[in-house]
Amino acid sequence: MKNFKFLFAILALNALLFTACDKDNGDDNEGELITTVKLTFTEVGGGSTEFTVKDLDGDGGDPPVADDITLKANTAYTIGVEFLDESEAGHIHDFTEEVQEESNDHLVCFVASGAISAPVIGDLDGNGKPLGLESAVSTGDTGTGVLQITLKHLPEKTNPEPCSTGDTDVDVTFLVTIE
Amino acid sequence: MPRLNCIILSILGLLPYWGFTQHNCHATLFGTVTEEGTEEPVPFAEVFIVQTGQGAVTDDKGRFVFTELCEGDYTVTCHHIGCSHLSSEIKVVGETNLCFHLQHESLNLSEITVHAKPIELRSMQAQQSLTGEKLSAVKGQTLGDLLKTLPGVTTLNTGGSISKPIIRGLHSSRVLMLNNGVRQEGQQWGSEHAPEIDPYIADKVTVVYGANSVRYGADALGGVVVVEPRAMRGEPGMGGEANLTAFGNGRVGVTSAMVEGKMKGKLPLSGRLQGTLKRGGDQRTPDYFLQNTGTKEINYSAAIGLEQERWNTEVFFSQFFTDIGIYRGSHIGNLTDLQQAIEQGRPTDDGSFSYKLGRPMQRVAHYLFKAKTALKTGTAGAMTLQYARQFNRRGEFDAHKRYGTLPSELENPEMLFEITTHTLDLAWEHKSWRHFTGSLGAQGMAQRNTTDRGGLIPDYEGQTAGVFWVERWRKYPFPLEFEAGVRYDVRRMDVQNRGNEVIDKQLNFDNLSGTLGMVYIVAEQFDLKLHWGSAWRAPNVNELFSDGVHHGSASYEKGRTDLKSERANNITLTLDFDNARNWSASFSLYRNLIQDFIYLKPQDKPVLTIRGAFPSFAYDQTDARLTGFDWNSAWNFAKKWEVSSSASLLRAWNKKADDWLVLMPADRFNLGLTFSPKAEKSKDETGNAPYLKMGIERVFEQTRTPENVDFAPAPNAYTLVNFEAGTSFRVGSRQSAVGSRQPPIHLTITINNLLNSAYRDYLNRLRYFTHEAGRNVSVRLKYSF
Repeated sequence: MKNFKFLFAILALNALLFTACDKDNGDDNEGELITTVKLTFTEVGGGSTEFTVKDLDGDGGDPPVADDITLKANTAYTIGVEFLDESEAGHIHDFTEEVQEESNDHLVCFVASGAISAPVIGDLDGNGKPLGLESAVSTGDTGTGVLQITLKHLPEKTNPEPCSTGDTDVDVTFLVTIE
Repeated sequence: MPRLNCIILSILGLLPYWGFTQHNCHATLFGTVTEEGTEEPVPFAEVFIVQTGQGAVTDDKGRFVFTELCEGDYTVTCHHIGCSHLSSEIKVVGETNLCFHLQHESLNLSEITVHAKPIELRSMQAQQSLTGEKLSAVKGQTLGDLLKTLPGVTTLNTGGSISKPIIRGLHSSRVLMLNNGVRQEGQQWGSEHAPEIDPYIADKVTVVYGANSVRYGADALGGVVVVEPRAMRGEPGMGGEANLTAFGNGRVGVTSAMVEGKMKGKLPLSGRLQGTLKRGGDQRTPDYFLQNTGTKEINYSAAIGLEQERWNTEVFFSQFFTDIGIYRGSHIGNLTDLQQAIEQGRPTDDGSFSYKLGRPMQRVAHYLFKAKTALKTGTAGAMTLQYARQFNRRGEFDAHKRYGTLPSELENPEMLFEITTHTLDLAWEHKSWRHFTGSLGAQGMAQRNTTDRGGLIPDYEGQTAGVFWVERWRKYPFPLEFEAGVRYDVRRMDVQNRGNEVIDKQLNFDNLSGTLGMVYIVAEQFDLKLHWGSAWRAPNVNELFSDGVHHGSASYEKGRTDLKSERANNITLTLDFDNARNWSASFSLYRNLIQDFIYLKPQDKPVLTIRGAFPSFAYDQTDARLTGFDWNSAWNFAKKWEVSSSASLLRAWNKKADDWLVLMPADRFNLGLTFSPKAEKSKDETGNAPYLKMGIERVFEQTRTPENVDFAPAPNAYTLVNFEAGTSFRVGSRQSAVGSRQPPIHLTITINNLLNSAYRDYLNRLRYFTHEAGRNVSVRLKYSF
């Protein structure tokens, strides 16, 4: 008889748990998406220009739109990279700081071809390994080229080719003209 | 003292016969049983031939008949209630007369308890079950892996710990699961969403092959998986079972225990409590560990039942919780990552063992509450009313939390789906009327789906209502039986928001389902079945509304809101042979034609996103044709030896694209050899005799794959060697409560992939990144009390 009282107790308890587990109508937090990658090219000792890739409607729909980068020939630049969510008009989320905070888990990679050479990473993560939010490049003669920028999450930074490890959060390509 | 006089006349006659029976086996033995003195016929006397296991009951004129006997010596027994049991040796050659003299054992008959079992109805559909020893030998694995031991069933895997059954090439929402009589309403739409069922609950698992919607409702295009717990305890008292299982690979430990009881007296309540705990760590391929592939599972269930003469009622409740780690390297950012991962084909380092469960991960909970009442309405038949409520919550944790996640939400999943389902089933089974038996019923379902995070699919409410009627004609011992059934369903979907996007769309579907079946009992041991089933399935919400990069699969999937219902027309021819002594075989040939088959069609242009390019797929409809056969057999070719075999072949064609269908199981063969040193026959009914079994499993390369759909070609063929041994024993002289015939401790040892072969399986979604698990030694200990 005791056993059955126990069984009933369990069932009664379940009934309570059960109803408690109903849908919690929380806010629909969809998480944030990176919609915009902003590059700021600053001429050493001179002014700066911004170039962006934007995909404001997220995956699908309209494809991302990239500015063409125009740089001066034979000039040294520093490059700053920013990652933003601009999907809500008038409400910009900046994720650059988050990348900076978790610098050990992130890496910005650059691949260049044509008239531009790959920028050299200038900043370091918490372990003294490259991070890539800040970098530098010196242009040569006039011409055109392509600059690809990827943001890697959890790369193996000790790997001889860290950019081919980890997973990709951002992968954008700019056309570059050197005048 | 009255005596019964049994006169048996036997006449040998020539009858047409079937080629597989022995030489001179077309004799017929018939006769009558009469009471001595009065010469009155004795109805309901039992006549039994010991050697063949054939039995007959005399009709109202005291007559009985046996057909297709082989010439030879037989022991024939005759028995009637209240009389002594008498047997006689008889040589069946020519015409033979035999007389039994049965004597009453006692005139002071007290209470007689009759345990009757109806002659089992032969199912019209092809079906296979796992019970007893065969089920015990695979428990501890996932439900999918357990079903894989049946012919025609394969699994769609995501790594080593997520597996869902594929029945004759169809899976996910095209396979229906009945868990303890309730239609499982979980998140079956996803190919990496495993069934939310604790296999330890099952006493019997049955797969019904082919389109089969009439009884169970829409969606069963490929088949039905029926998970049945053991019936509530019949005898007053207490009993139970404890299981301990350990797997070497992944260092998995599983404990499962059950206690049950029934009260004596006026309120014969019976009850059962059952629970399972499972913990596993990283799995290992022959050469390296698979990081983050552990699992955690906590399940329990409770049931209370009350059985009375005219009615019975049962309340059941279960909870299922699991955390499943997913191999870290399988969550990739974009197509470039995927190509790099495929090129590499394995993790960069060998890794080491850990029980740690981290991202990416799935966290799933499923609750089931069921209340069922059956009423025997005497002359009218039996009524059953069942209500069930299910709640399913599925959380998916990405490898990488999203940017902008608040610190307070770091422990939350990136995607969270919830379903609450209420079902009501009413069925009336009428009594036999002019050789017709059948049932009529109605089902209703109300469901609410919410996506609290992730916005992959929209929130929606669904309502389904259906009515069915099935009749079966059977005039025993006429060798033909027929079955026909029809069902009508309506389904309504009210689609609301996806994230912050308002969709607000109403969709309605209504369809008929039908079934026609025939069994021809060619001989006692041999029957032939022909079955046609027609089933339908409304498109799933993900097929209608998906719009985004699919989690982990590096492809962009787009739904279509104008999809129609799918319709399957399935014809199956099954031959079942079982001589109940030393060999059995089943052969099933099928063709399943599916109109408007919903599938992912590759698109010409990739979709560009800020994460790079993704191959693009859109949901589309075609006509599909699935043709195949399943075979299984067991043969006791010598006293202690049994050889068993099974095979499954399938050809799946996309008629509109004029190409093969993707992700269809490759052809496969199994061969097993069992040695049972102590058993006369290895088909020991209790399944307790010690045995050793070696098995070879051969899976061919899937050469029939469509073009431009997959990221990598199908992997090579592979052969696995498996070993299994089992025995039962008791410790000390303690008698088990179950009865002295059943030893209380049952031990099974299995070694899967004995040769530690490195291989990949086409139906594993992670085959691009890793090999399958290596050698796995498992030990199972079961204690019944």
